[in-house]
Amino acid sequence: MSTKDTIVAKATADAMAAIGIIRISGQNALSLAKEIFTSKEIKGDIEARRMYLGQVSTKNFKDKAFCVYYKAPHSYTGEDVIEFQAHGGKTLLDGIFRELVSKGARPAEPGEFTKRAYLNGKVDLASAEGICDMISADSEAEIMQAYRLMQGELSKTITASIEKLTEAVAGLEASLDYPEELEEDTRPESLLLIKEVKKDLEKTYASSKNRRYITDGINISLCGLTNVGKSSLMNAILNDDRAIVTDVAGTTRDVLKETFMIDGIKVNLVDTAGIRESSDNIEQIGIKKAKEAIKGADVILFVMDTSIEETDEEKALYNTLDKQKTIRVANKGDILKFPRNADILIEAETGKNIEKLMDLILEKINVKNITSKGTLTRERHIFAIQKAIEFLDNAIAVYDKTTIDCILIDLKGALRRLADITGEDVDESIVDKVFSKFCVGK
Amino acid sequence: MKTDVKKYDCIVIGAGHAGCEAAYALSKLGKKTLLLSLSLEAVAFMACNPNIGGTSKGHLVCEIDALGGIMGLVADEATIQTRMLNLSNGPAVHSLRAQVDKNLYHRKMKLEMERTSNIDILEGEAKEILVEKVCKKEGSDTIGKVVGVVTDMGAIYEAKTVIISTGVYLQAKIITGENVRCTGPAGFKRSEGLTQNLLDLDLDIRRFKTGTPMRVLKSSIDIEKMEPQYGDLDMPTFSMLTKDEVRNDAVCYLTYTNLDTHKLIIDNLSRAPMYNGEICGTGARYCPSIEDKVMRFKDKKRHQIFVEPEGADTDEVYIQGLSTSLPYDIQEKMIKTVKGLENAKITRYGYAIEYDCINPLELLPSLEIKKYEGLFAAGQINGTSGYEEAAAQGLIAGLNASRKIDNLEPYIPTRSTSYIGVLIDDLVTKGTNEPYRMMTSRAEHRMALRQDNADFRLLEKGRELGLVDDARYEIFKERKREVQEIFEALKKRYKIAEVEKVFNEADASLPKNSISGEEVLRRSQLNLSHLIKIDPEFNKYNIKNLKYVETEIKYKGYLEKQAQAIKEASRLEALKLPQDIDYMKVDNLRIEARQKLNKVKPLTLAQAARISGVTPADITVLMLHFRKRQAENNAKKD
Repeated sequence: MSTKDTIVAKATADAMAAIGIIRISGQNALSLAKEIFTSKEIKGDIEARRMYLGQVSTKNFKDKAFCVYYKAPHSYTGEDVIEFQAHGGKTLLDGIFRELVSKGARPAEPGEFTKRAYLNGKVDLASAEGICDMISADSEAEIMQAYRLMQGELSKTITASIEKLTEAVAGLEASLDYPEELEEDTRPESLLLIKEVKKDLEKTYASSKNRRYITDGINISLCGLTNVGKSSLMNAILNDDRAIVTDVAGTTRDVLKETFMIDGIKVNLVDTAGIRESSDNIEQIGIKKAKEAIKGADVILFVMDTSIEETDEEKALYNTLDKQKTIRVANKGDILKFPRNADILIEAETGKNIEKLMDLILEKINVKNITSKGTLTRERHIFAIQKAIEFLDNAIAVYDKTTIDCILIDLKGALRRLADITGEDVDESIVDKVFSKFCVGK
Repeated sequence: MKTDVKKYDCIVIGAGHAGCEAAYALSKLGKKTLLLSLSLEAVAFMACNPNIGGTSKGHLVCEIDALGGIMGLVADEATIQTRMLNLSNGPAVHSLRAQVDKNLYHRKMKLEMERTSNIDILEGEAKEILVEKVCKKEGSDTIGKVVGVVTDMGAIYEAKTVIISTGVYLQAKIITGENVRCTGPAGFKRSEGLTQNLLDLDLDIRRFKTGTPMRVLKSSIDIEKMEPQYGDLDMPTFSMLTKDEVRNDAVCYLTYTNLDTHKLIIDNLSRAPMYNGEICGTGARYCPSIEDKVMRFKDKKRHQIFVEPEGADTDEVYIQGLSTSLPYDIQEKMIKTVKGLENAKITRYGYAIEYDCINPLELLPSLEIKKYEGLFAAGQINGTSGYEEAAAQGLIAGLNASRKIDNLEPYIPTRSTSYIGVLIDDLVTKGTNEPYRMMTSRAEHRMALRQDNADFRLLEKGRELGLVDDARYEIFKERKREVQEIFEALKKRYKIAEVEKVFNEADASLPKNSISGEEVLRRSQLNLSHLIKIDPEFNKYNIKNLKYVETEIKYKGYLEKQAQAIKEASRLEALKLPQDIDYMKVDNLRIEARQKLNKVKPLTLAQAARISGVTPADITVLMLHFRKRQAENNAKKD
């Protein structure tokens, strides 16, 4: 890639829409604009950050359009940027796009505008990652998450932790480098700060579980004996006839997986083969997969056929499940002959109480936590935070038992891990802090 | 007329702490050296505080000694009080600090320079550094080559290498209130004209500032009103060559400023050069003046003052903590507000000093100036502060000047083996915007860089480099042998009956059957003195060696952690970067990173990572870039 190129891209999707945007970035953005755009409002130079109404001319057509010029470095990419707001529609936008390319602009690669913004120091790495996540997001929660990352919420949280930890470290460092000049005992205050940081990080780390919910979705497994109506329930949830439903026990021989949304959160619903001892080879494979699916589930819907009596097999199967994750669903509730201890009564065939079941699922995974405070989306962030917490644990464990030089090995280890996320230079900021906070030095 | 031009391997400009150490290293390596000094009365002059060592600085002196340097030896000889700082804060930061007789230090060092073979010591001022232009190679910063020096006498000296170690003397200005004098410290002549020469050589010159407090007569102060501070007993020495215990009878005193002092300062702030615009140099946060301290920490009701002797044969004492550039009349009033100093007679007023120095980003890690082959710089000229920092650089500059002459690769001390390595790497990688002071917190591998293992870290290397003579080497070999023996002896096991009494006294739980000496030392409630009580046999060993072993055992876990960190860091250290590269052409690097990398031209990927403004993401990009480049080169070879 050369940053000297001037790139062009359609900023809006190829859909029928009232307006469409074409964006140009690079050294020649302004001169390209002047070549194809004319306006009576332009007196002399095109002023930055002013919207001009005028005319775009291409080989084949002319059309009314707006033009805005963002002068480097005060633009999204940090380069000269031109935005045309023209009428929407693929043909029209493609025409302008091709005209610009014929005049020397290069079609941008996917993400190239953001990449340039990053290269020119307009966004930090976490933000750039956030922007990419947002573009490729497929659920609202995912977009929110990516948006937060882009807004630097992760950076903000981590920066706050770095700031506190730096202060704790600086207090201890000052006592080592200025044993005679530093009159105050900095150990107790530093410990308080360290504990605060640990708590904050643990909270952020906990949200990494939610993070998985957001990017990968929640995994829900349907579980139960054969022919209790699992597939019907799946169909009811999906409002679709995807899964094969028959009255012959053991029809669902494989694991069916569907993805859908509840309140903007991605849900992966897995219908497992009914669990029973089977001699059928294919079905055995299905059962094996089903057991795996249950293992990886965040929520298990244990479906019971309440039209028949509770069997020992059913009890035994239920006992193998993680009770924390399991919702007991009584199906075929129209036949209440053999009532069970159930969390909810539904009718898979008619879809009765399916909405209530959805609410129950959201309750189970504590969905409020997901949408309010989930900020960790990248593995490298999670890993760094996990490591930082380990270091802090070590430091706290020996805080009163060992010498400060040792404690600082762990504290600085934690600090460096956090700095990896934001790319800060922690060593210098420790020194800065020592001198801004303490009156030391001769 | 000038037919008999004298030829030297190296000319060292300035005989301060850096210059003397540089000349000494050169002489050891058999290089004929001219050591120039503006005044021979200013050789190794301690212009500011009368001590050597302290946190991280004590480490530097021990390292200099392990590399065959001279500072530790002379410091030991001139010591009048010695203490170990930080004894309760852990072995990594145990720091030896000596009160030193300034005059004695100067005389001893001068004598060493006079009688060391290969060194010609000469009073004279360098006016011009002579260079020859060379063809600039693609991607290289070199534009010339040093060939000699012209002095104020007009004498020309030819040299293969030159080390600039002019300290704070370049265009120095001394400021006390409204009084401004164009001299070096303590009224010594300043250097005129060399700055212009350096500017003509296209070097980036900046102006820094530092300061010093007043000196007063000890006979005029009331020591009864202050807290005395005595030296510590059984102290080690800086130099391994020092056989006897050092002199340790001087006393320092502690007193404090008070609100009256602070009010006086605030009332007269308009007359403070730092606050009325008279001073334009950048000062260090590390040695703030009292007016700085009072202004920046307004809620502090008092500041410490240490009264320290300037020497054994003078009545002058140094008022540490009252560094100031306020006018003389305010200084007179100010000192009288302090408890114990009410009748103090000032002999010299405090002052601020401004001087010219080089941006250390002009330097290679060898301390050679990038633009000129054979031209080195060391000490305060490179933007540092402190005698020890200067000496450490002097040693490395002297060594590498010698290696340049011999066509050998320079010795680059690493961050994982010495504070000297940290110091130089910080300077040439990050540069500095204020006088740089060494601090233990700057060393990320601090636990591995202790005073007590400086010889284990560096002496073999020093030997290999030709800096360590037989005397030091024999002592080191014996120490190594004894340390080994102690480790062996610690394997001996003791029965419960043998340890019971000592364990009970120390409130330590008894072992099940028996316990080895090593296990005793590992117990947190027990230490060396307990072990010696259990087994007096250990008394036969050198206490320094015993303590070293104790530290190695007690802190084994942390030392291993540190070793692991060093190992991880060494992966990036091992990735060498080419020097003939234009980073502006490296795709995907942020623009800021390209500019910074071009400025510093790091030797390794690790050094690149330490440049401020280069992020971990940039390092990943660089790594990929060079991997690709290497693959392409390999493909070409095939």
